[in-house]
Amino acid sequence: MRDLPASRDLVALARELLLDELLPLLPPERGRDAHLIATAMAIAAREASAGNRWEQEIAGLLNGFYGESGSLDRLAADLRNGAFETSPSRGAAARAILWRLTVEKLREGNPQFLAANGFRSADGKGE
Amino acid sequence: MAATALPRSEAGPADRQRALARFLARATGAEAVEVSRIALLPGGAIQDNWAIDAEFDGGALAGQQRLVLRIDAATGVPSSLGRIEEFAVLQAAFAAGVASPEPLFACKDPAVLGKPFFVMRRLAGSALGRPITLDPALESCRPRLAERLGQELARLQTIRPPRDDLGFLKAVAPVEHISNFRTYLDSHPNPRPVLEWALRWAETHLPEPLPPVLCHRDFRTGNYMLDGTRLTGILDWEFAGWGDPDEDIGWLCCKGWRFGRLDREAGGIAERAPFYRGYESESGRRIDPDRLRFWEVIANIRWAIIALQQSDRYLTGGARSLSTAITGRRATECELELLMLLDPDGGTERAHA
Repeated sequence: MRDLPASRDLVALARELLLDELLPLLPPERGRDAHLIATAMAIAAREASAGNRWEQEIAGLLNGFYGESGSLDRLAADLRNGAFETSPSRGAAARAILWRLTVEKLREGNPQFLAANGFRSADGKGE
Repeated sequence: MAATALPRSEAGPADRQRALARFLARATGAEAVEVSRIALLPGGAIQDNWAIDAEFDGGALAGQQRLVLRIDAATGVPSSLGRIEEFAVLQAAFAAGVASPEPLFACKDPAVLGKPFFVMRRLAGSALGRPITLDPALESCRPRLAERLGQELARLQTIRPPRDDLGFLKAVAPVEHISNFRTYLDSHPNPRPVLEWALRWAETHLPEPLPPVLCHRDFRTGNYMLDGTRLTGILDWEFAGWGDPDEDIGWLCCKGWRFGRLDREAGGIAERAPFYRGYESESGRRIDPDRLRFWEVIANIRWAIIALQQSDRYLTGGARSLSTAITGRRATECELELLMLLDPDGGTERAHA
């Protein structure tokens, strides 16, 4: 229904304009601000593109882990209390959710950091 | 951005400049002091640092002087010392031979500039993290710099309680750090299960205590001045307190302070070996990797919580700053590091796993 180009393409173009054409015109002390704006735009674009796919996946993992309605609040409280320390398999399953959550957040928030630490990006590439 | 007016008290800029000149004259016994330049230095989030160029007519500092005036910024954070206390810590560090700006005068009287402040000598150089870690011209000097930082830290740790001049400093034991972090997480709107898991690990892996020493608590790249290849001083003493000798080592080696050089584990400037060598040779104490691992876990949790607190300033504190708002996202970088430290075989998405 929406007109093209899609918003993510517009954001990508706006980011290019900012970094390639406007940034060189700015006084040096404002360069960091331009990069911050570009970073915020990139995060917004990645979040819009991902939608709520991984959040649903994490919710599914939590439900599977608890066998009922799970939540990150419950997981956090259980981890504070050492709830899975007597069960290696439960502990490993809980840590697997932590990894998934963290990697997915960084794929949106800072994929360069993820790659610099030896993790594959969302498209499966390692850097 | 440089500014030319001290933004404190209800008096005008010219009045404040005159008040500062009068204070400096009184403090040094000068006939008169002419302040020729006042400029806000970049980088202070909690304190404002003002570069002051002044000509002293007689007295203890006769002649042209390059100084820094340090005063509270508009918003402080609860865990930082007041300026008068920070001045006392800086005096102790300088007297112990730690490379640091020479502390000159402190002023408690809010009538002078609106808030307490202190004055120190201005060091040459820059503290910006990325040039220090990335400038090719510094390549050959970085291991020596890391060794020197180790020596400076060991010298700092010769300051130990009890000290009458530092009686206001608090001792923070590991369990108190853990408790404080949990208190913060209880107030945070979103659950942080990775931080909870890491805090539980810390709680169940407390190191054997060592006699407390002075901890800088922000000893890292970005908080020391480099003039060319020469270390001129350690800055920003507002978080100092009594604590564990490994606490500052863990903080300097924390991944969040490597400024684009994640591979250089000593503050983004070198491998750990030269830093450890400098520390161990000066202190006579061997670094225990297990103890240090504990403090690196604490460092990453602390980094994450500081990042979240920055975003809180936007979310609940009314700060309209993109830089502040976006910093909370970096908490997840610390969470990844915690997972890598504490579950090294996990993470199936790892490209090279």
